[in-house]
Amino acid sequence: MKPLLQMTDLHGGYGDANILHGVNLEVAPAEIVVIVGPNGAGKSTAMKAIFGLLKIRGGSVIVGGVDITGWEPNRIVEAGVCYVPQVDNVFREMTVHENLEMGAFLRSGDLSAAYDRVYGLFPDLKERRKALAGNLSGGQRQMVAMGRALMLEPKILLLDEPTAGLSPKYMEQIFQISRDVRDTGVAILLVEQHAKQALAFADRGYVLASGCNRHEGTGADLLADRDVADMFLGG
Amino acid sequence: MEWIGFANYAVYMAIFICIYALLSLGLNIQWGFTGLFNAGIAGFFAVGAYTSAVLTSPAADGRLGGFDLPFWVGWIGAMVAAALIAWPIGKICLRFRSDYLAIATIGVAEIIRLVIKSEDWLTNSARGITDIPRPLGDLPYTMSQLAYLAIVMAILLVVYLMVERQIASPWGRMMRAIRDNEDAARAMGKDVPYRRLEAFIFGSALMGLGGALFAHFNRSITPEAIDPMVATFLVWIMLILGGSGNNRGAILGVAVVWVIWSVSEIVTDQFPHEYAVKAKYLRIFLIGLMLQLVLRFRPEGLLPEASGERKPVGKTGN
Amino acid sequence: MGALEIINFYLVPGLVVGSIYALGAVGITLVFAILRYAHLAHGDLATLGAFLGLGLVTALGISPYLALPAVMVLTAVVAVGIDRVFYDYLRERPKIVTVMASLGIALMVRAIVQVVWGVDSQTYTRGIVRPENWFGIRVRDRELITILAMIALVVALQLFLQRSKWGKAMRAMSDNPDLALLSGVDNGKVVTITWVIVGGLCAAAGLFLGLNFELKAMMGWSMLLPMFAAAILGGVGRVEGAVIGGLIVGVAEEMSTLFLPTEYKAATAFAILLLMLLVRPTGLLRGKVL
Repeated sequence: MKPLLQMTDLHGGYGDANILHGVNLEVAPAEIVVIVGPNGAGKSTAMKAIFGLLKIRGGSVIVGGVDITGWEPNRIVEAGVCYVPQVDNVFREMTVHENLEMGAFLRSGDLSAAYDRVYGLFPDLKERRKALAGNLSGGQRQMVAMGRALMLEPKILLLDEPTAGLSPKYMEQIFQISRDVRDTGVAILLVEQHAKQALAFADRGYVLASGCNRHEGTGADLLADRDVADMFLGG
Repeated sequence: MEWIGFANYAVYMAIFICIYALLSLGLNIQWGFTGLFNAGIAGFFAVGAYTSAVLTSPAADGRLGGFDLPFWVGWIGAMVAAALIAWPIGKICLRFRSDYLAIATIGVAEIIRLVIKSEDWLTNSARGITDIPRPLGDLPYTMSQLAYLAIVMAILLVVYLMVERQIASPWGRMMRAIRDNEDAARAMGKDVPYRRLEAFIFGSALMGLGGALFAHFNRSITPEAIDPMVATFLVWIMLILGGSGNNRGAILGVAVVWVIWSVSEIVTDQFPHEYAVKAKYLRIFLIGLMLQLVLRFRPEGLLPEASGERKPVGKTGN
Repeated sequence: MGALEIINFYLVPGLVVGSIYALGAVGITLVFAILRYAHLAHGDLATLGAFLGLGLVTALGISPYLALPAVMVLTAVVAVGIDRVFYDYLRERPKIVTVMASLGIALMVRAIVQVVWGVDSQTYTRGIVRPENWFGIRVRDRELITILAMIALVVALQLFLQRSKWGKAMRAMSDNPDLALLSGVDNGKVVTITWVIVGGLCAAAGLFLGLNFELKAMMGWSMLLPMFAAAILGGVGRVEGAVIGGLIVGVAEEMSTLFLPTEYKAATAFAILLLMLLVRPTGLLRGKVL
């Protein structure tokens, strides 16, 4: 199948130093792909590169057949890619519902179906739609962040460490919601610190180290790989 | 004879350039090396001028002093007084981004202006303080001017060498590190607000000294002698045009701007009266425009800061 | 001193001048929160608005109230123009550079006022207006209109910020600029709308200042400190905070003349500013600290 997102031989970083030294990634439609790797491997950087948030010095990012390398973030959003940063990913002084409204900023017309879909995925949020996002718990904030991104009905959702700092209960919930989102036809690319759990739930995974691809394969294959296990899974 | 008049004018200009150069160096310590926005230069200048005036002028009725002390006591007093005013302001504002310091220094300059205008017992308000002694001021006019020029040049040289030495020292490197990357400096265990406070106080003391030299040169000081916005702004444009972060640039900028400013004044004074007033404001407009043009097209100034890789004009903020 | 004297000589004048500060402080707080710098030309923009009003009043012979909408539009255009010509190019640089540019703009705008309208004090209307007596409380019509106009403008602004799409975009930009950009908000458009609002409010502040007192080239600059004190007192980014802050600073300035010589009114605002930075930099309503 033709990949939805294709990153080819990407080089780049912040300022003068390169962090990525030729990263290749592919995500097919309605697929969950996880990027794992040790600290400083360039996982989050690779994801930010898709969004043009760093200096790209080589390689390309293609989404749905269109080369989006170096585009402005708002155009990338229009191309159907939504990004949920790891921190500061909600509007704290706006209500849950207003956060979703901001997610749909580029859309016009009747949005009630989109609200229904997001509130359907996150019933907790529906109850607290009038609450300020800054007053929610960490897990609920992550849901607001994902909900905001889903309001645009993207083709692919980028999640940067969505479970960082969450309790196992919330982590499981985020993974479950991610599956639900995938089942509505949205591809998900996520960066995860919790490699074991993430590989277990993802369709496919990439292991990055020192800004390069190290391994790739289905989640199960990677979990079974001795080299991957030795590298950072801690046995 | 024409050329004597011209030479006298040149000396007069040179004295002013040296005094403004002290202000510019003071601002360079604050802004150029540390990234602090002082919008109240005229306030520190005025404090210095009045402090030295009170300390050194002969006893007078109806106001504090004068104490008839030697001029150098007055000059040191001027620096101390300016530093004492800078201290609480810096203490409160330097924890935040420099925008807050800008506002607070505008405020402090305004309060100082009010005090000078209304406190008879301290500053003799509108009449000002006269009979301020000038060192070697008893010589004939030209000699006395030349002697004073020699004094301010010597002071400028000493200050320049001191600042250069300080900037090249570990202290200076640390200041630049704080300016260029506050978070990293903080992470290395530097007490950032304290270091900034040092720079702010030191720079303000130099501005106070500049004020004292100005008062002794004129032998008098009145509230009208200092137009707060224009004085403050001139020093800013001098430093930015000359090259903030470079002490020689700071002095060069003073010379360039002061010559432009004075020559344009001579030109506009030739106009009939009703136009001369308007022309004065037109000059202020143009000096404001000049700042915009420098900021946009040559932010590093005429003489950029020596070290290669950093971006021009203040790297603090987000 | 009786309660009525306090009200008539301190509270009413304080609320009037406080309303004028509030109009300016709302603009300052919006620029501070959305564009993220202290706009030092704010007072002089208000001066320009006041004098543009004078131009309309003398040229067309209309009342200052009638001139207000036109002056707000004109000043908004000027504000957007200043941003396009001067501030916009500095957007990628440290924000403090724009603060410096705005100090230069303050000087330039004031110089234009001085060249065009001269340096003498002027007024919109001649003659002394006697205050109306409402059950012992003496208020002039223009004072009442100043307070009511401030309330009306702030309510309209709040409705815009809370209800409209671009108002929400402005709040989003203030709240989390990176995320707002990721959501597809066009920063340039937010900047323009912000300047339209801020310019209009500035003009209103200047016009009401000129109406209640007199028009002078320095009128706006001397209002800068109380406006900033009000914005920080209320909490940076909080519109309602700026209004509360403006009213408090205005009343405090008037009350201070009970204890201090009148010349030191301006010191009250400065004291409030320093006190807030010392004990509660987020302001009364928990705003931002840059």
